[in-house]
Amino acid sequence: MVAVLKSIGAPTRAEFHEVIATRADRWYAACLRITRDRDLAEDAVQDALLNAWNKRDQYERSARLDTWIHRIAVNSALQILRKRRPGTWEPLEADIPDDTSTPDIARADEELGAGLTAALQHLSEIERVCFVLKHLEQWRLKEISLEIDASIGTIKQALFRAVKKLRVSMADLRSE
Amino acid sequence: MINEETLTLYYYDDGLSAGERRAVAIALGDDAELAARYAALCRQLEQWREPDATKAPSHVVQRWHDSIDRAARAERVEPKKSGGPVHFMSFFWGAAITAALAIGVGIGVYFSADGSFDPPVDDLRVSVSADESMSIPASFTRGLQVYLQDSQSEIVGLSLDAGADRSLLVMQIIEQNRLFERTATMNNSPELARVLRAFEPILMRLASEDISPEDAAALRAQLAFELNVVLTKLARDTSYEAQTI
Repeated sequence: MVAVLKSIGAPTRAEFHEVIATRADRWYAACLRITRDRDLAEDAVQDALLNAWNKRDQYERSARLDTWIHRIAVNSALQILRKRRPGTWEPLEADIPDDTSTPDIARADEELGAGLTAALQHLSEIERVCFVLKHLEQWRLKEISLEIDASIGTIKQALFRAVKKLRVSMADLRSE
Repeated sequence: MINEETLTLYYYDDGLSAGERRAVAIALGDDAELAARYAALCRQLEQWREPDATKAPSHVVQRWHDSIDRAARAERVEPKKSGGPVHFMSFFWGAAITAALAIGVGIGVYFSADGSFDPPVDDLRVSVSADESMSIPASFTRGLQVYLQDSQSEIVGLSLDAGADRSLLVMQIIEQNRLFERTATMNNSPELARVLRAFEPILMRLASEDISPEDAAALRAQLAFELNVVLTKLARDTSYEAQTI
């Protein structure tokens, strides 16, 4: 019975195409904010779509398909970032701004636009990721802690610092 | 005294106990200055709520659509394999390449030769920074060359009319391609993995049973060309490595 219900709930290929057409920009933007790299963001969405397709029997109709895929995409982006840059969450205490500026990152930032994205550049990687996950993705602190394998206290500190720095940066941007 | 951190957690409704939340709520009611600080914080955080509009490049979105189509198609094609015709050469090369891969990965753990790899062509839309270099074990490169050469000759000789047979043959190439892609990733060669991944949408379109012979011919020509570019690049790098040893 459960299997029957699950198969009834499995989204169809047409539904996948529909959410890609309407929501892919949001998934891409979320992944781009996390990775700051267009290629990695594209890969994250691609991986998420294939994962979602392969696990579509596990999808429950009570959730929105685009939200379900969005979450998978963000997880993919985090995994890719961790794989690509091992120890990426370690320099938390060092408070080093993530102002790495490669042409790819510059293009990624350009795509994301000015304002908040420009201000996000002044954050360290963990501050940026914690802020994006908490503020834009609305994850619970506990979820972030589990995902990036850091204590809730560490996550809170990263978030506080992010908010503090962003308030200053955004004020500066407005005054320019 | 309630600080900014506590106000931030109060705003997010996360990270405070029920008692702490109650204390903040009471303080906000009693203290006008605190309430003003909190209102200012809320205003700023709300301004950052709506992210800037970002659009994914259209060709990338198309690739995502294709990936779902090919995944769906792969599910349909899989069962046909058991009852379908056996392509001896594909089976032979598949086995040989898998063996070469296994050896390549093993050897790659101990020996790695530095080599740089550029994207094949713009058509594949693979962006690789020019100065990025990757460590690719020589044994892996050789296995990859064999696979690419074999794929190229199979694709060139591909029948444009036999839909199901063509589909099966191309799906076998795709499986091998994925194997090499995964191995490239394992060998810390993300750009090469991307190049191989970029072949897949074209291969998937070619595997489709419902494309016209004209489209199949165009895709076949495109693939043959792309494969040739990659092979040329690999041969050049291999030759350079041999000269520098």
